[in-house]
Amino acid sequence: MNESATGSGAHLRQINRTDRLKAWSRHHRQLFRSTLITLLNQPGALLITWLVIGIALSLPILLSLALREISEADTRQVIQPAMSVYLSVPSESETAQALLKRLRASSAVGEVRLITEQAALAEFSSLAGFGDVLNAFSENPLPGIIEVVPRERDGAGIKLLAQQIAGQDGVDQVSFDAAWLERLSAILGILERVLYALGVLFSGAVILIIGNTLRLTIENQRGEIEITKLFGGSDSFVQRPFIYRGFWLGFGGALLAFFIIQSSLLYLSGPVERLAQSYRSNFALEALNFGESIGLFALGALLGILGSWVSVWRYLKQIQPK
Amino acid sequence: MLVFDHVSKRYPNGYDALSDVSFTVEAGAFVFLTGPSGAGKSTLLKMINGVERSSRGQVHVAGQNISRLPARKIPGLRQGIGVVFQNHQLLFDRRVYDNVALPLFIAGMKPAEIGRRVRAALSKVGLTGREGDWPETLSGGEQQRVGIARAVVHRPPILLADEPTGNLDPDLSREIMSLFLQFSQLGVTVLIATHDLELVESMPARRLQLQDGRIRAE
Ligand SMILES: Nc1ncnc2c1ncn2[C@@H]1O[C@H](COP(=O)(O)OP(=O)(O)OP(=O)(O)O)[C@@H](O)[C@H]1O
Ligand SMILES: [Mg+2]
Repeated sequence: MNESATGSGAHLRQINRTDRLKAWSRHHRQLFRSTLITLLNQPGALLITWLVIGIALSLPILLSLALREISEADTRQVIQPAMSVYLSVPSESETAQALLKRLRASSAVGEVRLITEQAALAEFSSLAGFGDVLNAFSENPLPGIIEVVPRERDGAGIKLLAQQIAGQDGVDQVSFDAAWLERLSAILGILERVLYALGVLFSGAVILIIGNTLRLTIENQRGEIEITKLFGGSDSFVQRPFIYRGFWLGFGGALLAFFIIQSSLLYLSGPVERLAQSYRSNFALEALNFGESIGLFALGALLGILGSWVSVWRYLKQIQPK
Repeated sequence: MLVFDHVSKRYPNGYDALSDVSFTVEAGAFVFLTGPSGAGKSTLLKMINGVERSSRGQVHVAGQNISRLPARKIPGLRQGIGVVFQNHQLLFDRRVYDNVALPLFIAGMKPAEIGRRVRAALSKVGLTGREGDWPETLSGGEQQRVGIARAVVHRPPILLADEPTGNLDPDLSREIMSLFLQFSQLGVTVLIATHDLELVESMPARRLQLQDGRIRAE
């Protein structure tokens, strides 16, 4: 560190560039730790701020995770159940077997599964309450069913396939709700937009929360800020601790959001899996993976820094020693 | 080191605190600024470290015309000026050590170097070993001396003091003044505003007398 140019020269104080850079990076390193320690000294207030930020971050993310799972290609079958082809002939008959073969060979068809009369009966009786109803029949009243999963994703294309199959020998009827699918994909489109809007709104809320928290802190430290400026602390020097505080608030909030999201998914996973199994799907709500978690933390930290920057800068400039 | 060139200061409410003030202070000089309450002593000191700006005229500090200094250069100016200001008390939520270390911290000094300098400054004002205390637990005079340690710890070329002996008994006042005198002998330019005429007269120093915002006598 250079000594002051006492009593001489045109400048009061000359510090060379390397020293200034060293001092600058030292200040950053110190603040990284010290701001966290200061925040942790008021654990109650900190926890509440973190929780508010955590909830604000986790809501849109949870919704988008659910939406992603629903609209993801390989889980489409959940909302796009296989069409059920009810047979008018016994499933062992030549006609039925020929139909099965044709369907398997068709390029428009992804998966084909035969549910024989016996299998249908067994499945039906396993559903609560229906066992007794079926016992009233002397013979099996259920037809054989071929389940067909179309390759086509598009509602109109699936409808066409259903009509084609319905016209074939040995087919009683094909049940498939095409309108439902179309409506659903429209709803998904809307939901996606709603989610974007929510994401933007909640991010804005996080920025405001952090900005407001920091403003209160500044108000409490007015005297310290004035004296620091009186002794030559620049605006950015005075602002730096608040940037780090914003960083910690956002980062900690994201950490809490991470736990909120993972535990919510854990809480939901049981019921969701049962629902998916009833559709014979392996749909599952997946937890945040490594990259996504890092992304979440980065988002929190970024919003914190942004919140600090946006709200603190002009405010700090106004505080001047008197 | 300090040049006031026909400087006037009008506060936003229209009050003329300084009118056409001109004087020069050489580097290493020791100058008292006297005058009755409301004469403009504090205003004059605040114009040297850029807390107030002149309405007319130029203020030069160490060769820089600070009336024209852009805002981003004010911090650099202030880092070279130690201040003991009437209304700038200590930070009561910080220990003595952190209060005194503030200018060094702003300058970005290494922690070990900061520790050495803080202890040296505290021993100069007679507060050896008190760095761990809270300002609250010190007497008024001790607090004042912590303020003085803070003002000189970074060895600034200029030292401004506004009523630095306000809370001190005569012996301690004399001691503090001789401390300021020592600084000026080391080359520090010292400017002290005070009411304590008895003390002023007992010291071999130049005297600027203000009245109603004008320099009445040298
Ligand atoms: N911010 C301000 N706005 C308006 N008038 C002010 C302001 N600061 C000071 N004044 C006025 O300027 C005049 C000079 O004030 P200043 O504080 O410089 O006097 P002083 O010589 O330091 O007095 P004291 O010995 O009482 O400290 C006073 O009349 C005061 O009322
Ligand atoms: Mg005054």
